[in-house]
Amino acid sequence: MAAAALCWALRAARQVLPSPCPRQVRSYYVDWRMLRDVKRRKMAYEHADERLRINAIRKNSILPKELQEVADKEIAALPRDSCPVRIRNRCILTSRPRGVKRRWRLSRIVFRHFADHAQMSGVQRAMW
Amino acid sequence: KDKSAASKDSTPEGASKRQEDGAETPKQKLLDIIGDMKVEVSYRKKLQQLKASENKTQAMNKLVGLDGEGSVPRGTTEDIKRGKPLSPELVQAASAVASSLPRNKKQTESELLAQLRRHEETTDKQKKGGTINIRNVISEMTVKKQSPAQRGVRISSLISLVLDEDGQRIRPERSSAQSVDSRRSLKVGKRLNIFTKASTEPEHALKTVSSPTIWDLEFAKDIAAITAQPPRNGFEEMIQWTKEGILWEYPIDNEVGIEDDAEFHEHIFLEKHLEGFPKEGPIRHFMELVICGLSKNPYLSVKQKVEHIEWFQKYFEEKKELLQEI
Repeated sequence: MAAAALCWALRAARQVLPSPCPRQVRSYYVDWRMLRDVKRRKMAYEHADERLRINAIRKNSILPKELQEVADKEIAALPRDSCPVRIRNRCILTSRPRGVKRRWRLSRIVFRHFADHAQMSGVQRAMW
Repeated sequence: KDKSAASKDSTPEGASKRQEDGAETPKQKLLDIIGDMKVEVSYRKKLQQLKASENKTQAMNKLVGLDGEGSVPRGTTEDIKRGKPLSPELVQAASAVASSLPRNKKQTESELLAQLRRHEETTDKQKKGGTINIRNVISEMTVKKQSPAQRGVRISSLISLVLDEDGQRIRPERSSAQSVDSRRSLKVGKRLNIFTKASTEPEHALKTVSSPTIWDLEFAKDIAAITAQPPRNGFEEMIQWTKEGILWEYPIDNEVGIEDDAEFHEHIFLEKHLEGFPKEGPIRHFMELVICGLSKNPYLSVKQKVEHIEWFQKYFEEKKELLQEI
């Protein structure tokens, strides 16, 4: 998840690549929704440690409840995009939010397209 | 000591005569060696001091060794005591020769063994090549002063020809070479690698230019781009990919990128980081659970674990007033 975000960040519309890359490089994200998803992933990565620690204080039977209530308020005060629940595993080529297979990060339509053209390694039409 | 030796030598004499008849040719060789050898007086005294403690055991060993033919283990134990492995046949021959000579047998035998030991030491040294290096050192020291300086100038001129195509650089190169000439005795010359590991040639010492300029970097990049031909076959393609980082290096090293030099005890025994916390109470209980969990975590580095604990410390410090109300 974070790795995908980082590698897409390199190809984003913001930066110019310093090294001369001989291959084709996509310099824009597919759509704005994908961009927003990328931003959410970055923020979730940054705040992941804090969220983990505050949650450890909250989900606790040892510490006093007043402390846990304070922790509740703190975690609610963090930016909304920093929670991992808001991340949606979209298709990386079409940005389709539904019908995405996790292993290939592709939507079902794109997957079928590539598999039929024999461009997916080890994928074969099922027949039994 | 001599009297006891004289009394015990009567019995070995009879046995040694039997051995002498059987082993004449090695004894002859040994006798020739003895004729060449020169007995040292000072060594005798040292050996006497050594022998004062080992006297009885040696005599026992000799008796058993000369009487029975299974003297190989005894000979080796004798040698082990002296700290140097000599072959048992040599020891036997030495003892036989010593007994044949008219002088004090123990002393002659000890001297013979000492000589054998010295021979073996020199052979070991020659095998390791230790003496040859010293000769090299001495031969190097007599080299004339002109040749290393001339060699340095030649090398610097070569460097200037190869690296720089502009005429601008040659002047600082020459001045650097001249400045090096004044202190040639220190840096110029072939390294003998006595104290340090085999370092690279003195060309590095001659090149006094500190950092390459932007033009040099660009030039190098241009050369790399021109010489980078497209891969002719799959192997070259794989090599290129490995250099770029697309392909991993085989055999796969699981610890690529992870440079965790900390020992296991730094990962597990984290109680020393708990010094900032109160010793009793729910916070301590909580932190001990945190530490238990961290010690079982193989994915974090020690630094990350310490940061984790410090974050909690800071957090509880800020909430101190709240905690005191409770």
